[in-house]
Amino acid sequence: MNYLEQKIAPRREERLGSCIEFGGTVDEIHKQFCGCCLKNKRRAFSQGTICQLLPATAILTSLQDCVVIVHGAIGCGGAVHSQGASVRVGQFNAGDKNPKGALWLSTNLTESDVVSGGEEKLKHAIIEADKRYRPSAIIVLSTCIPGIIGDDIDGVADALKDQVSATLLPIHCEGFKTKIMATAYDAIFHSFLRNMIDGKDETEFRIYDNDISTTAEKLRRSRLVNLLNVSSMTGADQKELTRLLNKLGLEVNMLPCDAHPDAFRLAPFAALSIGVCPTHDDYFMTYLEQKFGVPFVGGQMPIGIENTSIWLRQIAAKLGLTEAAERIIKSETDELNRALEPLLPPLRGKTAMLSAGEIRTLATAVLLQELGMEIVAVRPYHYDKFGVAEIEKLEKINPKIRINVATAQPFEAVNLIYRIKPDVYIGHNSDNVWAAKCGVSILPIYGTNSIYNGYAGVYDVARRLKRHLKNPSFNEHLAKHVRQPYKENWYSENPFKYILGGE
Amino acid sequence: MKQQMANTKMNTKNRNNNRFIERPRSFCSLGGALITVTALPEVVPILHTAMGCGGSIYWNQYGSTGYLGAGYCGGLAVPSSNIQEKDIIFGGLDRLEEQVKSTVELVEGKLYFILTGCTADIIGDDVQSVVRQYRDEGINILGAETGGFHGDGYKGHDRVLTVLAREFIEKRKNKKNNKINLLGVVPGQDAFWRGNLLKIRELLEKLGLEVNSFFTERDTLEEIRNAGDAALTIVVSEFYAIDAAKALKETHGIPYITNPFPIGPTASNEFLKNVAETLEIPFDVVHKVIETETKRYFNYVERVADAYNDLDWQRYSVVVGDVNYAPAITKFLADDLGWLPELMVVTNTIDDTQKPKINRVIETLISKYPVTVAYESDPTEIKTHFRKIVPQKTDRLFYDDFSPAFVIGSHWEREFAFDIGAGHLTVSYPVGNRIVLNRGYAGYDGSLSLIEDLFTVIAAQR
Repeated sequence: MNYLEQKIAPRREERLGSCIEFGGTVDEIHKQFCGCCLKNKRRAFSQGTICQLLPATAILTSLQDCVVIVHGAIGCGGAVHSQGASVRVGQFNAGDKNPKGALWLSTNLTESDVVSGGEEKLKHAIIEADKRYRPSAIIVLSTCIPGIIGDDIDGVADALKDQVSATLLPIHCEGFKTKIMATAYDAIFHSFLRNMIDGKDETEFRIYDNDISTTAEKLRRSRLVNLLNVSSMTGADQKELTRLLNKLGLEVNMLPCDAHPDAFRLAPFAALSIGVCPTHDDYFMTYLEQKFGVPFVGGQMPIGIENTSIWLRQIAAKLGLTEAAERIIKSETDELNRALEPLLPPLRGKTAMLSAGEIRTLATAVLLQELGMEIVAVRPYHYDKFGVAEIEKLEKINPKIRINVATAQPFEAVNLIYRIKPDVYIGHNSDNVWAAKCGVSILPIYGTNSIYNGYAGVYDVARRLKRHLKNPSFNEHLAKHVRQPYKENWYSENPFKYILGGE
Repeated sequence: MKQQMANTKMNTKNRNNNRFIERPRSFCSLGGALITVTALPEVVPILHTAMGCGGSIYWNQYGSTGYLGAGYCGGLAVPSSNIQEKDIIFGGLDRLEEQVKSTVELVEGKLYFILTGCTADIIGDDVQSVVRQYRDEGINILGAETGGFHGDGYKGHDRVLTVLAREFIEKRKNKKNNKINLLGVVPGQDAFWRGNLLKIRELLEKLGLEVNSFFTERDTLEEIRNAGDAALTIVVSEFYAIDAAKALKETHGIPYITNPFPIGPTASNEFLKNVAETLEIPFDVVHKVIETETKRYFNYVERVADAYNDLDWQRYSVVVGDVNYAPAITKFLADDLGWLPELMVVTNTIDDTQKPKINRVIETLISKYPVTVAYESDPTEIKTHFRKIVPQKTDRLFYDDFSPAFVIGSHWEREFAFDIGAGHLTVSYPVGNRIVLNRGYAGYDGSLSLIEDLFTVIAAQR
């Protein structure tokens, strides 16, 4: 089915059968998912979590030369208050001495707008944003209110497209529409594919009439690859993957995060698209191939030694660079293994629990296992077919590793932690504090200007884990003096008690 | 529901909402309400919202309120009905009921507080029916309509306190002459709320008053329940928590006064006199407190006077802040610190009829310093107002520049300060480049912290 013909990208529940409720072991989820028994569960107790607007603002406010208009109440988009800090750091690292951070506008929908509609206000905001900031693109994010009252953001964008100089990108991320926040990634790419990426060769990457420059450009494009980054990657992560691809002789067109809209316009002319996380990039790469014939490799996250090597081999195979890739893999892993040796003794046999996005969690678990640690539980934010390959790897290590599919839901995590008492918790921003209050050492699973991807990421993760285990006293003290909000009997209950079967 | 809103709430006269806001300097009413509830002792919030509201508010507070963490039951631990499309179509009350039941079973709290989001309010879920049902079962529970489209974080704060005043605080016929309720400092919107409230509370205690301040380490839920026998509500703001003060008046017969948020000895003297006059506290009692506090203030200031004079730490200044901070800091700079606050920018969206209250603080400055007042929220437009009073720099040899200069505002004013070569301190929302624990700027003592922080920025460049 060609989803691009529709205004709105499908929900992940429909497209991929994704689920966010499960408690059991990795062999159980493997069996059940293949039997399609995971659908339509729900929780009788749930905690506030992340809707698709959050990953949308995280990615889109990082774009260069763009303005994001959050069409909603004044609080929607508030997450940019912290997301914008990383945007600012990125701009500073890119050389801006007085970085402005993320730029977003709110249409500030009020009681009267709920009654009479918000389209006029949105029009006004788009026209003003175009005049005031002169951006390359204006991104309009639809939230719950317009989703309920029926504001037609696509219609508004269509009506204004000849009046403004910016490219208009209406994106649907109403929070109530899907339980799978990763639907946001499809929603974003859906709009870019429909409204911006047209395959017209007319900006700086024009092929000139001149024979020599045409040949030069063709040569460049034969080595040009789209690298699909994710918002949980740091600048250091991007550098590491670029380093590896450069070693293969490839030139990198990085998108979507931190990219200029021109990177999207250039994408149809690349020789290959390279994914780092199927949760993020399969929709885009699939359509880029269908519409413009750009082949892709995806499905493998380059986190962990073996995972990074698989990732490089897949890329090399597509471009006929296998021999070069093997040389690179050998020299990199030899050096890495030598460097890792002194770091490993304090990590050996230590138990770890992980929690974050689907692929990130499972791939990082494989990395920790390579460092000699024992994986006791994984908590992916959702689960679908893309997780199967990673689950199979974990099942081989130990089929009885506990798995809890939940978008945060710390009450389940805390119950599990009390049971299995891991030495380290490697979790998502905002998850970590609940494990910290149990006295467990924490390594954040992404961010903080550190590096997680590629071979350098393996070394850095090992180095940082060693540091955390050296003095865990901050969280140990914390656990003695603050309490979790749950009643005492919760810890003797089944942690998955509140997950109810299908309806 | 839509019709009802159209009839009762369409006050088009004062609508200043026909335009977008660049990088809003506020939570939505749900965010303000949630942070208020999590700041109350032993209270557990229950959101009746779409699934992302809890996360959105948490990410918001983290980056805007001095890295404020989740606390006891906030952040991603907040119980939330997480209503979905089918609930929007068929109504979300069944889901809410189930969520309240499981929350009471699982989460330890002395009071549960349901807060609704945009989705629940638009579809018109009757949350009060769920509140009544559980209250009949003996559960201590309240609810407020706080969907984001009702207004900003200050509004949500006010709604929570209004419900507390009407439905939780017990009625007492006999009032205690020396007991007061303190309002007007909004948790989250003011990153320094804990320190500020504590400093004002301690100051009032020196007058012999018993103080209920709701949100500090010294408040308990039991004392809040007993707030009905206070003789007076003191609102240290001309704008915030006024509905709550009115509800305390209507429900409990407690009168209220408002007073501009006080920073520094001059403003604090005026504040104490205002309170004493209202409560008929003898002149010598107030005079003694003022004298002791002023002496203590100058005992510290004396020891920084050397550096102030040797190193020439007087500064031209621009103050950007909300209706509490902007006038309070401007007054402190002009009347106490001897700085030159040329421009004050108030960032709240307020209508013209309310502006005289703010302007009065500036018109009555003891120093009579001429301050230009502007009303603007968008960070990129602050500079436009600045350029109206300070012309673009020239290359001339003899040129009376706006220098040395200092900008006190939110963390967004860093860029503006950098552009005009000024020092910068973040005080008002959003506060994303500082950690805030127990610091506060209110009163005499708080202004010493402000002096420390301002001069530290300058000294750090040495």
